[in-house]
Amino acid sequence: MDKRDDSGLPPLGRMMLWVDKPGSVTKIIWMLTLVCAALFAADFMYEKHGHFEVESIPGAYGIYGFVMFTGLILAAKALRFFIKRPEDFYGDKAIDREEYPADQLDKVDHDA
Amino acid sequence: MLDALPTAFLFFAAAILLLAMPQGRLRGVLLLVVPLIAGWQVWSLPFGELVQVGFFGFELELMRVDKLSRVFGLIFTLAAFLGNLYAWHVRDTVQQVAALLYAGSAIGAVFAGDLITLFFYWEGTAIASVFLIWARRTEGAYHTGMRYLIIQIGSGVILLAGTALFYRETGSIEFGQMTLGSLATWLIFLSFGIKCAFPLLHNWLQDSYPAATVTGTVILSAFTTKLAVYALARGFAGTEILIYIGAIMTLFPIFFAEIENDLRRVLAYSLNNQLGFMVVGIGIGTEMALNGTASHAFAHILYKALLFMSVGAVLFRTGTSKASELGGLYRTMPRTAMFCLVGAASISAFPLFSGFVTKSLILDQTASQHYPIIWAILVFASAGVLSHSGIKIPFFTFFAHDSGLRPREAPMHMQLAMGITAALCIMIGVYPDPLYALLPYEVDFHPYTTGHVVTQLQLLLFALLAFAVLMRTGIHPPEIRAINLDTDWTYRRLMPRMLSAVSKGVAAVWTGSATLILSGISGLVRRLYRSHGPEGRMAQVWPTGSMVLWIAVLLGVTLVVNFLS
Repeated sequence: MDKRDDSGLPPLGRMMLWVDKPGSVTKIIWMLTLVCAALFAADFMYEKHGHFEVESIPGAYGIYGFVMFTGLILAAKALRFFIKRPEDFYGDKAIDREEYPADQLDKVDHDA
Repeated sequence: MLDALPTAFLFFAAAILLLAMPQGRLRGVLLLVVPLIAGWQVWSLPFGELVQVGFFGFELELMRVDKLSRVFGLIFTLAAFLGNLYAWHVRDTVQQVAALLYAGSAIGAVFAGDLITLFFYWEGTAIASVFLIWARRTEGAYHTGMRYLIIQIGSGVILLAGTALFYRETGSIEFGQMTLGSLATWLIFLSFGIKCAFPLLHNWLQDSYPAATVTGTVILSAFTTKLAVYALARGFAGTEILIYIGAIMTLFPIFFAEIENDLRRVLAYSLNNQLGFMVVGIGIGTEMALNGTASHAFAHILYKALLFMSVGAVLFRTGTSKASELGGLYRTMPRTAMFCLVGAASISAFPLFSGFVTKSLILDQTASQHYPIIWAILVFASAGVLSHSGIKIPFFTFFAHDSGLRPREAPMHMQLAMGITAALCIMIGVYPDPLYALLPYEVDFHPYTTGHVVTQLQLLLFALLAFAVLMRTGIHPPEIRAINLDTDWTYRRLMPRMLSAVSKGVAAVWTGSATLILSGISGLVRRLYRSHGPEGRMAQVWPTGSMVLWIAVLLGVTLVVNFLS
């Protein structure tokens, strides 16, 4: 049986197949953008009781989250340049190179 | 009756009983029943110092029950129950016994009222837990376990040294609030810091947790580090340096977690980051901050176990926990995927999930106690948690590109363990009051204010949006098969290299001097040979001694001849 044949999947798994349909990811991102815009707008709707001055800027948390997340990813990418090593860096007897002992696992395919 | 019995002994007795039982379901039942009895016992114990034992002239307090030790005792018994349920299928005596002894030691340490009892249980957790790593039974796991054991035992030895000095200074072995200042308290602090994975002392955690067995990692994740958090909260609440140590702890692991490929190691980094929040709470030291630490430890043990369980289930079914090899597993493991998402939402502190109602206690305290920079760091670290535990773990395992793997859904007992844990994560998030009631101090805090919910959602969803943008533009670093250097490089690479250089140096000096001495001796022999050897000048004349001997022989012969004739 073809591994990529989606028949015989558990019902919950079949329902979630929607995320892999063409265009679904774009829809999700647009929905996310809309929710973010709504949250930004919500900042004007209530009285703020922050401890710090910066918290009163509309969308302060959103901007901080977006900027810092991007910064984090870029910094991590730069860090990878310095500290990345091949998996066998510590030799073949390190867990990164070993297969997990098969007798302690129960590797079965869903249609087995 | 149970009042007089330290909770830890329940686990130790069960470990002995287990050995007398045949391997099979009966053992599984015992492994589940014991934590339940222990939990009920902890729940129903009165406050106070309940069990004393004399020990070489010291009075040891085995059961100091108060609100702080009770909340940790309860979550430890709960974690033991969930871990053992998850490990229902395991038929390995080593792991079963280790799990009982480990949980028992951790609970014993929580209720220890003096430093000597604490030391015994402290070492107990180290020795029992290493078998959960060795139980993988590979050479890599053996070496990792050795490194783990050396560091953990080292922490215990430092604790013992600190205790001895503390006793000499104060004449007391009571384990109570301490002030940093003397060598004794610094040693005790350092010992706690090692187990709590302070920055630069942290790497045993990321080194060892991915090396343990599928179920072993789930059990490991609950106890050692949270025991250290408890010990710090008990001994060093309000110690300002902890605020800065904690802030660094929340910060640096998020960068490493982002580029790590082994998802169980990603979770170990993430665990380190979560400990940071708790340590900041201890450092601030106000009643509400300590409440925050205790509640966050409680919630954290659950959602971290849940995440380790879901990645463990994937490992159990596919044989790998590497992000580069996984993806698209939601098709055939949808329930595990859902449980993982609940864990991810809880650790990321989405409203209605447990992290939200506990972490905000700590964040609120950093703000109200006027630590703006620490507060900004913690908010940033919260976005960082989202990046690796909230997004990376579920996304690259269950979604993202289709790896082509179609493993069967996790076994029923694993689903049950994950389901109960997930339900608890949501229950705490939706209705935090029962947890708040367990905390050491009165809680006057309302997590669900409009401002709090909106700002938290803003932080998380804008960060999520940033992730979407970075993925779409291809800037987000791909998952690749590689490892990353961390401080373990110093003792896995640098120190062995230095040792080998030193040993080469010593060997060179040794061989050099030996050659010198040997050539001296052989020169001497050669010279002697030249003068006294068969060709030597001295051999050309008979020495006087031999003449005397021959004369004596001749005289003797003459005497005998005369006598006979």
